[in-house]
Amino acid sequence: MEDLKQTFLDEIKSVEGLVDLSNLKIKYLGKKGIITAQLKKLSSIPPADRALFGKKINDIKQFMETEIDVLESRLKGEELKRQLLSDSIDVTLSGKFVSFGREHPINKTLSEITDIFVRMGFSVEEGPEIELDYYNFEALNIPKDHPARDMQDTFYVSPDIVLRTHTSPVQVRVMEKRKPPVRFIAPGKVYRCDADVTHTPMFHQIEGLMVDKGINFSNLKGVLVTFLHHMFGPDTPVRFRPSFFPFTEPSAEIDIGCIICNSSGCRVCKNSGWLEILGAGMVNPRVFEHVGYDPEEYSGFAFGMGIERIAMLKYSIDDIRLFYENDIRFLRQF
Amino acid sequence: MKVSFEWLKELINIKDSADEVAHRLTMIGLEVEAMEQVNDDIVFEVNVTPNRPDCLSIVGIARELSAAYGVAYELPAHDIAAETGELNFNVDILDKELCNRYAGRIVRNVKICESPEWLKKRLEKCNIRPINNVVDATNYVLLEFGHPLHAFDLKTIKGNCIRIGTCRTVKGQAAKIKFKTLDGIEREMPDDSLLIWDAERPIAIAGIMGGIETEVSDYTTDIFIESAYFEPTNIRRTSKSIDLKTESSYRFERGTDIKMLKKALDRAAYLMKETADGEIYGKIDIYPKRYIPPKIQVRYERVNRVLGLKLAKKEILACINKLGLDIEEVDANTFKAKPPTYRRDLKRDADIIEEITRFYGYDRIPAELPKATIGIDSQESRVRGQESKIKNNIKESFLRSGFTEVINYSFMDAKDLDILNIAADDERRCLVDIRNPLRAEDAHMRTTLIPALIKNVIYNLSHGNRELRFFETGRVFINISQDKNSGLPLEKEHVGIIYYHEKSRTLYKDETQVFYIVKGIIEAIFNDLKIYDYSFKRSSEPFLHPGQSADIFIGDNKIGYAGIMSPAIVDILDIKAHRPFIAIAEIDIDRLVPYAMQVVQYRSLPKYPHIERDTALLVDVSLEASALMKWLRSYSSELIDDISIFDVYQGKNIPEGKKSIAFNVRYRASDRTLNDDEIDVVHKSLVAYISEKTKGQLRSS
Ligand SMILES: [Zn+2]
Repeated sequence: MEDLKQTFLDEIKSVEGLVDLSNLKIKYLGKKGIITAQLKKLSSIPPADRALFGKKINDIKQFMETEIDVLESRLKGEELKRQLLSDSIDVTLSGKFVSFGREHPINKTLSEITDIFVRMGFSVEEGPEIELDYYNFEALNIPKDHPARDMQDTFYVSPDIVLRTHTSPVQVRVMEKRKPPVRFIAPGKVYRCDADVTHTPMFHQIEGLMVDKGINFSNLKGVLVTFLHHMFGPDTPVRFRPSFFPFTEPSAEIDIGCIICNSSGCRVCKNSGWLEILGAGMVNPRVFEHVGYDPEEYSGFAFGMGIERIAMLKYSIDDIRLFYENDIRFLRQF
Repeated sequence: MKVSFEWLKELINIKDSADEVAHRLTMIGLEVEAMEQVNDDIVFEVNVTPNRPDCLSIVGIARELSAAYGVAYELPAHDIAAETGELNFNVDILDKELCNRYAGRIVRNVKICESPEWLKKRLEKCNIRPINNVVDATNYVLLEFGHPLHAFDLKTIKGNCIRIGTCRTVKGQAAKIKFKTLDGIEREMPDDSLLIWDAERPIAIAGIMGGIETEVSDYTTDIFIESAYFEPTNIRRTSKSIDLKTESSYRFERGTDIKMLKKALDRAAYLMKETADGEIYGKIDIYPKRYIPPKIQVRYERVNRVLGLKLAKKEILACINKLGLDIEEVDANTFKAKPPTYRRDLKRDADIIEEITRFYGYDRIPAELPKATIGIDSQESRVRGQESKIKNNIKESFLRSGFTEVINYSFMDAKDLDILNIAADDERRCLVDIRNPLRAEDAHMRTTLIPALIKNVIYNLSHGNRELRFFETGRVFINISQDKNSGLPLEKEHVGIIYYHEKSRTLYKDETQVFYIVKGIIEAIFNDLKIYDYSFKRSSEPFLHPGQSADIFIGDNKIGYAGIMSPAIVDILDIKAHRPFIAIAEIDIDRLVPYAMQVVQYRSLPKYPHIERDTALLVDVSLEASALMKWLRSYSSELIDDISIFDVYQGKNIPEGKKSIAFNVRYRASDRTLNDDEIDVVHKSLVAYISEKTKGQLRSS
């Protein structure tokens, strides 16, 4: 019996893999195995010796099972290790393309501005980019042969049809269709025949309008200061100064403290410490007359801003033409 | 406009520094855009808005500062101490509507030479080139008083007379008039342009430029100085139509001070006496159309209502009492303001309220959020809100699929359509033309987004950028009137994409055809928008590969196309060196959006399990998946839950001209668990049906 155990121990030592082990297991513990054969002999053992013999056989069987189990789990572990090793890949190689695209910086800026106004309860409106002279100029109190037209070099499609030079005509179109109160912004493309480092023939604006009973200049300031603080930070200085737009009166130009130099004076703010960012004003009663609103009952304010300028300031971009070259190395930065 | 600080201080006594004055000017609406040190002086660049021609002069700026500081200003010396004698000269205004006032003086025996240094320096600081003492005097007064003058060589004026009128009035009929201006250019004058004539011929274009024949030269001895008020619109029209802008026309077309013109005339004569030793003769002043400023009625209450303030009457009036307005208190609620002649921009109460605001100070008005009424958006705005959400979804999907957004100009070159082989009768040939384009290649509005996207790829390739995926959303413009009344062209929102791929340059080989990659993204977007009724049908777009392109339909509506760019076009574009695959697609978003507005309705989940069967058929290579699917779907059985194609194979073990298509059918009943035997029968029948339809053979596995 001790010999059997010794032989088993010698044989298990020379086991090299799971297959060997399985063969060993069959040899000793299988249906026709050595231990099974011994157990079968049990009945032929004299009853007096039977219990002792049985115990010995069972002990050795248990011993073998334990040995085999231990070795089996060790061998399985080693095999797994080997397999994992052979499955190994270079994890430092870059992954398969899932690089997302980037939103154009102009539209990114535009959505940011739109979101702020939408949170303030403004809806979003649109108008045609090819516009009647009437909506682009006349109804906004800019008659033909008026020097104010020089402020905007116009592309003409016909004597009465232009590429809109600003988003302001949307004001008139919406007011014509809707009774007050109105409160909306109108983002979009506008066109002027002008091209240099600071001008492109197409650019983007956002127009805003709020008309209701009792809207005043102080409200105009309230809404625009709130917007600018959202956009540029709550500590940004804001300054309102008089200006001229034919469709608003009083008109204002709104500056923020230069975000490039912190108002200490730099090339971008021409050493003034201020950056012009918005045009605005109380809607000129003449515009109300064009759309049939009673200026005695209703008042309102309008504002407009150039998106390119804001994006340029925000990202410190010094050439407006970069926006329309669409170089992927530029676009990927946003 | 350039404003010399030193010159300004000659008229108004200000203690403030140049910086402080610049700030003050900016805060009353005369924005100082830049300041430049010129020797001992500082020159402001002032942005004068078109409504304020009265500020286009040193006097004008001094007047505004005077109101801001509450300090008086003085006009420069212009009193003529003595006049030498009679004029013996005639002025006749023939078009009184176009010339409301005309004054003139004769200065004799001038000695033409260079102007004194101080005068030349001031002109130069304001970007005006000194010429001689007489011409310089008129330019000097233009800068100082803001009133343009003209000096004629008196001896060249024929018949000792001047007439002011259009060609039509003077000649009694329209006629082609050619006129040579001071700059030596011969110009053809429009019939309705106002001209200055002597007894025989035109000698100046009123308010714009004098003629070369009556120009003051080194040999001139006697001068006629003109100081007039010309109607702005006519000056502007003429200036535009002959494309000639001058310091003079700039001021006349904005409006000059009809009252000040006399003082300006005297000032010029005064200077010519000082600097050219001239003898001043008497004055002619014809003023047929007297200007009477309106009296504007203003309610105190309205001022406060517009501004959101509670100012007392006294405070309101104090804001404007130094602006030269005649104020008349009407009653407890109202006052009347009569503006000075140089403020023709003040016409209505809103204009006066603006003046009050300017001098009250924009910065003193508190910022207060409106007490807003919160209402329900109109149905129209709600729909628009939904639409913009859908558009955002589409954009977001392309971004997440690796496409970078570009924005291109809305312009297009008609030649781009030729490159794409667009047919003559194609809608995309209905171009909106721009009459005054900046460049010939930008003379039309785009009718498709593709040409610009192709250019984006070419541009990036030339800068060494590879693996490009771009998309753009924007409008295209079709010259078909969308509304008979307005005559405006049709504007449609499109999304265009371009996918540029070089096979050899990818780290992980993906054998998927580029067409299927792009199609997959588009299908994913449709599914995201819950649009299921879409189909792809072989396209006939002339710029796409005929074998690898499809028109995209929702229902029966074509909404776009997708495909591989035709190799012929890749050839023309000269980008074939890298053997790229270029896929493009363009979708009409306006047409797609209505299909995406469906309301989602929940369907309960199935209660009973399904049974699947896979089948492979050998069919002709020409059989398209869509045809197979159509036939499969046409097999009528309530037990079919879903059908999909999962394998298409051609090659080894498949006969020439055939391919194997494998499809999966999922069977399910809504009221019981199916058993295999039952489904075997149904599926066998389905396979028999489809084999017959496709003339296919069951492929033994
Ligand atoms: Zn700065």
